[in-house]
Amino acid sequence: MKRLIILFLLAMLMSSLHTSCMKWEYGIEEEFATSGDGLFITCEGNFQYGNASLSYYDPSKKVVENDIFNRANAMKLGDVAQSMVIRGDVGWVVVNNSHVLFAIDINTFKERGRITNLTSPRYIHFLSDEKAYVTQLWDNRIFIVNPKRYEIIGHIDCPNMTMESGSTEQMVQYGKYVYVNCWSYQNRILKIDTETDSVVDELVVGIQPAALVLDKNNKLWTITDGGYEGSPYGYEPPSLYRIDAETFTIERVYQFALGDNTGELQLNRAGDMLYWLNDDVWAMSVDDENVPIRPFLPNRGTIYYGLTVSPDNGDVYVADAIDYQQPGKIYRYSSDGTLIDEFYVGIIPGAFCWK
Amino acid sequence: MKKILLLLFLGIYPMWLFSQSKGSIDEGVSISEVMVYSKRPMKEIGAQLTKLDSMALKENIALSMADVLAFNSSIFVKNYGRATLSTVAFRGTSASHTQVTWNGMKINNPMLGMTDFSMIPSYFIDDASLLHGTSSVNETGGGLGGAVKLSTKPARNEGFGLQYIQGVGSFSTFDEFLRLTYGNDHWQSSTRVVYSSSPNDYDYRNHDKKINIYDEDMNIIDQYYPVERNRSGAFKDFHLLQEVYYNTGKGDCIGLNAWYINSNRELAMLTVDYGDDTEFENRQREQTFRGVVSWNHLREKWRLDAKATYMYTWLAYDYKRDLGNGIMAPMTASRSYINTISGAIDSEYFVSDKWLVTASLSVSQHFVRSQDKNIILQEGDKGIVGYNKGRFEMSGSVSAKWQPIERLGLSIVVREELVGNKWSPLIPAFFIDGVIIEPGNITARASISRNFRTPTLNDLYALPGGNPDLKSERGWTYDAGLSFAVGRENLYSLKGSAGWFESFISDWIIWLPTTQGFFSPRNIKDVHAYGIELQAEGNLWLPRGWELNLNGTFSWTPSINEGEPVSVADQSIGKQLPYVPEFSSSVIGRLSWRDWTFMYKWCYYSERYTMSSNDITFSGKLPPYFMSNISLEKLLKLRWLDLSLKGVINNLFDEEYLSVLSRPMPGINFEIFIGITPKW
Repeated sequence: MKRLIILFLLAMLMSSLHTSCMKWEYGIEEEFATSGDGLFITCEGNFQYGNASLSYYDPSKKVVENDIFNRANAMKLGDVAQSMVIRGDVGWVVVNNSHVLFAIDINTFKERGRITNLTSPRYIHFLSDEKAYVTQLWDNRIFIVNPKRYEIIGHIDCPNMTMESGSTEQMVQYGKYVYVNCWSYQNRILKIDTETDSVVDELVVGIQPAALVLDKNNKLWTITDGGYEGSPYGYEPPSLYRIDAETFTIERVYQFALGDNTGELQLNRAGDMLYWLNDDVWAMSVDDENVPIRPFLPNRGTIYYGLTVSPDNGDVYVADAIDYQQPGKIYRYSSDGTLIDEFYVGIIPGAFCWK
Repeated sequence: MKKILLLLFLGIYPMWLFSQSKGSIDEGVSISEVMVYSKRPMKEIGAQLTKLDSMALKENIALSMADVLAFNSSIFVKNYGRATLSTVAFRGTSASHTQVTWNGMKINNPMLGMTDFSMIPSYFIDDASLLHGTSSVNETGGGLGGAVKLSTKPARNEGFGLQYIQGVGSFSTFDEFLRLTYGNDHWQSSTRVVYSSSPNDYDYRNHDKKINIYDEDMNIIDQYYPVERNRSGAFKDFHLLQEVYYNTGKGDCIGLNAWYINSNRELAMLTVDYGDDTEFENRQREQTFRGVVSWNHLREKWRLDAKATYMYTWLAYDYKRDLGNGIMAPMTASRSYINTISGAIDSEYFVSDKWLVTASLSVSQHFVRSQDKNIILQEGDKGIVGYNKGRFEMSGSVSAKWQPIERLGLSIVVREELVGNKWSPLIPAFFIDGVIIEPGNITARASISRNFRTPTLNDLYALPGGNPDLKSERGWTYDAGLSFAVGRENLYSLKGSAGWFESFISDWIIWLPTTQGFFSPRNIKDVHAYGIELQAEGNLWLPRGWELNLNGTFSWTPSINEGEPVSVADQSIGKQLPYVPEFSSSVIGRLSWRDWTFMYKWCYYSERYTMSSNDITFSGKLPPYFMSNISLEKLLKLRWLDLSLKGVINNLFDEEYLSVLSRPMPGINFEIFIGITPKW
C-alpha cells in the first residue's frame, strides 16, 4: 500500500515538475541609435488586448524596425496606439485605451516620461513646451497638459456634448486659434481661443468629420464619413469640406457617394496637394475646384487604414491592416504612383509621424 | 433480447420515478453501463460523449463550469481573469460554436452566440456531458465544435434535508452554498443558493509596465516593474435554483426548474492601463431568470417529454469616469434586455428490441432590445444607439437507431432548422459503432455530419456594425475512434478512448474593424480543424479502505485557416487560429482512505498565438502553462450532523500565467471550506 501511495505522489510530482516550462521574456532592453529622417508608424493593436506597437522606418535605407517601444524599454506600449507627434527631439505617443501619453527619445526610443490618467486620449497639439491640448473620445473636455512636468493642468469644456457623446479629434492652429474636428456622433468643427482656453465658435459640417488639415492658403479641409446605415444620428453621403480659417465659413463642399469609405486626410509639405482615402488613394491640388475622376493609387483588393505623405520628397505611404489580427503592411509609392517599397509593421497600422 | 429490454425497463423504472427530463430510456442505458460494459445505449450509438462525474461537479462550491471543464476535459477555456468572462474553444472552434443546453433548453446568448461558463456554478449542475462534434446533432443544431449538455435532477431525499457549506479564501473571498430539500413518494423539492464575493485584488508582478522615478527636473532616474493589485476586479454573484417535481407513480412526472442569477462584476483593468482605478469604473451587471416546466410521460415502449421555458436576461455595462468632483459621469451605459419563450417536445419509441426511433421539435421566440449608447442628435434631442429585434427559431430532428446484432449499432439523424424566415439546408448525421473484440469491450465508432450555425442577432443587427447580409457558417465533421473498458468488481476498472476528428467550416464569421472606427462581422475564413482526443480513467480499490482514481485527457487540435487571402499581403493562410492551443491535457488524481480524500488537479495548454499570422513576437504568443491545484478533505460523521473540512491550494507553484493578453491571473491562493449536513 505504501508503494502505491509513493507511486501516486511521484506521478503527481513528475507532472508538476513541468511547471518550470513557462517562459517569459522580460527585462531585455535593446539599444537603438538612429539618426537622420525616419518615419514612425503607430500600430493600434487589438482593442482590449494591449498589443499596440510602434515601428520605425528609415526611408533612405528602406529598413524597418518593429515593436521599438517594447524593445527599447522592455515594457509594452499599451492598448490602442492612436497617434504620435514630435516636438524637438521628443516623440509623443498617444495610447488611447491605456489612458496615457508616452514621451520618447526619437533616436533611442527610450521613454522620457508619461502623462497618465487621461480619459481616452486621441491627439496632442503643442502650444508651447509647457502647454499642449489633448483631445478625447467619450469625454466632453479637451485636456490641457504640461508636457514638461508630465501633468494635466486643466481642461476646456466643449459645448453641446455629454461625456457619453463626447468626441474631439485632430487639431490644427491658425494664429491664436486651434480648430478641432468633432467626430463620433458629431458634426462640428470647434474654434478654441488658446489665450482663454475656451471654445469661442463652432461650425456645423456633415456627419462625423474624421480628419482636419490646414493648407498653404490657410484653408481648413475636413472629410466626413457620413455615419452609418441605421444610425440615429443620421446617414448621408460623406463629403470633403473646404473652410476658410479666417472667416470660419464653408467655401466648398465636394460630395461623395452614399456608403463610400472616406477618411485619412493628408497634405504634402508645401500644403498644396491634398490626399485622402476612399477605398483607393485620391489626390488633388488644394486649388482644384473638382475632385479627380480617377484615383491616385487604385485599391489593392484590401481596405486601406492609414495614409501619409513624405514631407521630404512627396512619397505616399498607405497602410493595409489586412485582417486586423496580423502585422499590417505598408506600401510606399513615389509621388508619381510607382511602388518603391513594402514592409510589414505591427497590428493595425493606423497613423504615421515623420521625424 | 426481449428479456434484456424487459430487464432494462424493470431496472430503470424505479430510478426514473424522479428523473425529470430524460426519463427512463436514458436512465436505462446508464444502468446498462454498469452491467460490465456489455450493453451500449442505443441513443448513443456512434456518439462521442464525455460525461463529467459528480465528484468533478461537486468538488467545491467555489468552482464554475469553466473551472470544471478546464480540468476535466480537453476543451480549452479562454479565461479573461478570475470571475470574469470564460468561454470555450471546443475542438479548435470559437466560443459561439459550442452549443449549451440546461435541462434541455439552449442557453447560448442569442445576441452574442456564446455562453459565459463562469456564470454557471458547478454545484447547480447534477449531470454534465460533452457531445463532441457530430454527436451534438443528436441534441441541437449549430454545434460546429460540439455541445455541452447540463442538467439537474431530483435529490431523491425522503423528508427534509439541509446542506450548508462556507468557503473562505485568499483575497477576502467568501463562498456560501445552501441546499434545502424535501421529498416523499410523490414530491421532491430542492432549493439551492450560491453566493460568492471577493474584492479579487490579488497581487502580481506587472511585467507589461514600469514605474518611473523622476528627479526634480522630471528626468527619469530609475524604473522598475511594479507589483500591482488586480485593479477593479471585485465581484458579487448570487444564484438561486428552485426545483419541484411531482411524480404520479404511474409513469408521469411534472417538474419545475427556476434559476435566478444576480451578478455584479467589475471588469479588471488591463496590465497596460495607466488610469487611476479610483477615477474609473468599469462594471458589468446581469440578472437572468431561466424557468422550465416539464412533463415526462413514460410507457413501456415509448416516452414523451414536453417542456415550456421562459428566459429573461438583463445585461448592463457601465463605464464611468470621475469628473474630478466625485461625480462619476457615464461614458458608456449600455443595456440589453433579452426575452425568450420556447417550447420543446422529445419522443422516443422502441419499435422493437432492434429499432429505436426518436423525434424532437423545439421552437423559440427571442425578443432583444439592445441600447448601446445615449447620444445627442443633430437636432439637439437625445437618441439611443441600439436595436430592437425579434427572431423566431425552430429546430426539429428525427432519428432511427438500429442494432441488427448486439455488437453493431447504426444511427441516422436528420435535423432541420428555421431561423427567422430562412430554412437551413438539411443537417444529416450518420453514426455507426460496433464491438470489435468482446474481451475488453473494444468498440469502434465512426460518424459524419453536416452542420450550420446562423449568425447571432448582434452579428446581424448591432449598431454600428451589424451585417444583415451575413451567411450562415457551415461545416462537415468526421469522427472515428476506439474505446475499451475492463475491470474486476471491487478491484479495479480501466476505460479509455482514442478518437480522431476532422471538421471543415466555411464562411467563418469574424468581427473586424472598419475604416469608420467600429467593428463589423464578415464571413471570411474557411477553417480546417482536426486532431486527436484521448481519454482514460482508472479506479483501483484496495484493502483497508484505500481507493485511487486517475482521470486524464489529451488533445491535439490544429485549427487551420484555409480560406482565401484577405489581400495579397495576408500571411494567415495555413496558420493556426489565434487563441486556440494546439495541445492541451489534464490529469486528476484522487486518493481516498476512509474519510480522507486527497486530490491533485493538473492541466496544460500549449502556446497560443495571438495573431492570425502566428508571428512570434512578445505580444504575438502566450507561453504554454501548467496549472496544479491540490485539496485535502476530511469527513466527520458526528451524531447530529456530518461535517466536512476541506483545504484547497490553487496554482500550487505560483505560476505567472495569462489566458488572454494583458489579463493577469492569480498566483498561489488558498481556500478552506466547512460543510454541515444535519441529521434530522
